[in-house]
Amino acid sequence: MSRFGNLLMSAILCGCTYTLVAIGYCLFFGVLDVVVFCCGDIAIFGAFSIIGAFTIIWSAGVFQAVPTVVAVLILLIVASILCAVLGLITYRISVKPFEKSSALMPLLSTIALGVVIKEVLGLIFQPVINSMATSVVRVDDPKTVVGGRNPQSMPQLIAAGGSTLTRNLIIIVVVALILLALFFFLNKTKLGLSMQAISQNKELALMTGVNVKSAIRWTFIIGGVLLAIGGFLLGNYQTIIRFDGGTMYGTKGFAAAVVGGLKSTWGAVIGGMLLGFVEVFTAGLVPGGTKFQNVIAFIVVIIFIVFKPEGIIGEKIAEKV
Amino acid sequence: MKKRILAIGVTVCMIAGMVLTGCGGSGGSGGSSGGDGKVVKLGFLSPITGANAAEGAAARNAFQMAIDQANESGDYDYKIEVIEIDDKSDPSTGVAGAQKIVSDPDVVAATGHWNSGVAEATIPVFKEAEIPMLIWGAIASDLTSKDNYPWITRSAPTDVQENVPLAKAVLDDMGYEKVFIISDTTSYGQGNSKAFKAELADRGLKEVGFEEVQEGTVDFRAILTKVKSSGADCVYWGGVVTEGSLLKQQMYEEGVNALFCGISGNYSEDFLKIPAEAAEGALVVKPGIVLDSTEDGKKFIEDYEAAGFSEPIGAYTPYAYTAAEILLQALKECGDDVTPEAMRDAIANGSFDGIMGTTTFDDIGQTELVAAYLNVVQDGKWTVYDDSEYADGTRTFGGK
Repeated sequence: MSRFGNLLMSAILCGCTYTLVAIGYCLFFGVLDVVVFCCGDIAIFGAFSIIGAFTIIWSAGVFQAVPTVVAVLILLIVASILCAVLGLITYRISVKPFEKSSALMPLLSTIALGVVIKEVLGLIFQPVINSMATSVVRVDDPKTVVGGRNPQSMPQLIAAGGSTLTRNLIIIVVVALILLALFFFLNKTKLGLSMQAISQNKELALMTGVNVKSAIRWTFIIGGVLLAIGGFLLGNYQTIIRFDGGTMYGTKGFAAAVVGGLKSTWGAVIGGMLLGFVEVFTAGLVPGGTKFQNVIAFIVVIIFIVFKPEGIIGEKIAEKV
Repeated sequence: MKKRILAIGVTVCMIAGMVLTGCGGSGGSGGSSGGDGKVVKLGFLSPITGANAAEGAAARNAFQMAIDQANESGDYDYKIEVIEIDDKSDPSTGVAGAQKIVSDPDVVAATGHWNSGVAEATIPVFKEAEIPMLIWGAIASDLTSKDNYPWITRSAPTDVQENVPLAKAVLDDMGYEKVFIISDTTSYGQGNSKAFKAELADRGLKEVGFEEVQEGTVDFRAILTKVKSSGADCVYWGGVVTEGSLLKQQMYEEGVNALFCGISGNYSEDFLKIPAEAAEGALVVKPGIVLDSTEDGKKFIEDYEAAGFSEPIGAYTPYAYTAAEILLQALKECGDDVTPEAMRDAIANGSFDGIMGTTTFDDIGQTELVAAYLNVVQDGKWTVYDDSEYADGTRTFGGK
């Protein structure tokens, strides 16, 4: 591929990983009007769940016995369940108790929860997994699980042994499919429509018979599953996952969501891609630009929120006085 | 009545004091004439317990072994004793230990520390008490400085000094010329990129590109497009293993045909977590020597094993032994007049033969001996370069 082609591919992939986290922020913000700040950490938890589950089912001989696709599905289901549970826990302990207080409270409490998730992951990952299984973290070459604070190598499950181009294309296609599925879910299913209704006007939705409580719970479950898949794809793209990677990943995802317009899924896609493109092209084209890639990316974010505070796809809300 | 008792008491105490001082004086002169019973003490500090106990305890063993050998040799007119301090890798514990050492009047020199943070804390104590301290294992580059010289010297190479043998191997022996430098923005990364640039400049070369990344960077693909278009045949990585292994893997994935090289921060089992074919051919310099490649080294291993210590030889154990060799030779230099001042000058100006080579110190007390050897990843394992298939030409590095 040409140099430009390479950069384009990197930018799209980088954008894809931000997009998935940004959508998590959008879903939660949509139904609750609060920013759930631990999305990045939930995604990293998802990636660690995949590594842990892989180690366990490999040791048990399940992975080798079934086709890889089936094994990957099993892993994704396990990680999705764990992340959905973590999503519900997030809602229960750091969002719901502050329903009636200012939006700052859940913001702070989810930041705090994010730190807890990250640190606990770093501390207990190795002892927990080692107590259940003894070997292998990699498909091609068995290695034992190392301390949770070390970088973990992600089993290469997408196009294992194949070219990185295939892997990259699969990641992009999967993200596109998730977006389509989410679009249909939000616009064509009863649950999706009730989530949108809550997003637009919670009181009115309540009055028209929408089960708000159940819809909120489902939002956190779906958000958790989405972030688990996000963590899985991120891990496969980066090949190594760090326990503290969620902070930057989450911040970038949040920035992408805000730039896109916090309530719009397509806005999240555009915001994520914008961030990915700015970062990759700054690093790839400006000589010595790599150390400034985050600086420039966030300056772009600031410019966008100054001139388009409602987001690229957000509606302008005129306050009635 | 009370006053009288007090007066008598004070008088008794004074007399007793005079008598005792007199005894001390005669004991001292007896030592210098006869030799029997005279003691010279050396301080030794390392983390014998705590997180770095494995390195620290093995270093203590090696140091004590060297001193025991010297005492048995009969080359010294006095007995050499070691005041052994466990600094627990903790600066305040280290300072308390250093104070214990300098308060002993028989101490003429000390050697210490595996942790740079602890060394930083104890250096002022030794400087103020005017006891020379030789650092055997802490590697942060600013520990030796104009301010600390000549009381503080160091026999271990700093992390930045490792660039010297690496540059010699890559630029002189292997003939790479188009080097692309990538480092992180930490002081470690910046120190390395500066050092390697200086090595290039010494040879009339200039790097073909230079990029710095934040710590924790995971995506190097954009930089790698620059590496490709710059035509580089060698990528020098100035950071540590966390990002280094990812960089190497992405170089492989993106098909960058260049050598990957770096210093010892990359020498870790963590590097081998990327697929074996991606890690293949990574070249990393590591301080120290391959012990069983020299006669002295072999003897050191034999002696150490014969002594039956419970801790195995660690990466820095030979350095502690080297520090002992330096102090022992400096003691010999001093002859009969062993004082901290004489030791300070003997260490700073001397030339010392040891198991790792000949140590001399530069104008800030930093060793000029950088013993180091190359390692390469071969089939998913770290292999000493000289024993690898790269050395005999069976395999070739990228960019060649």
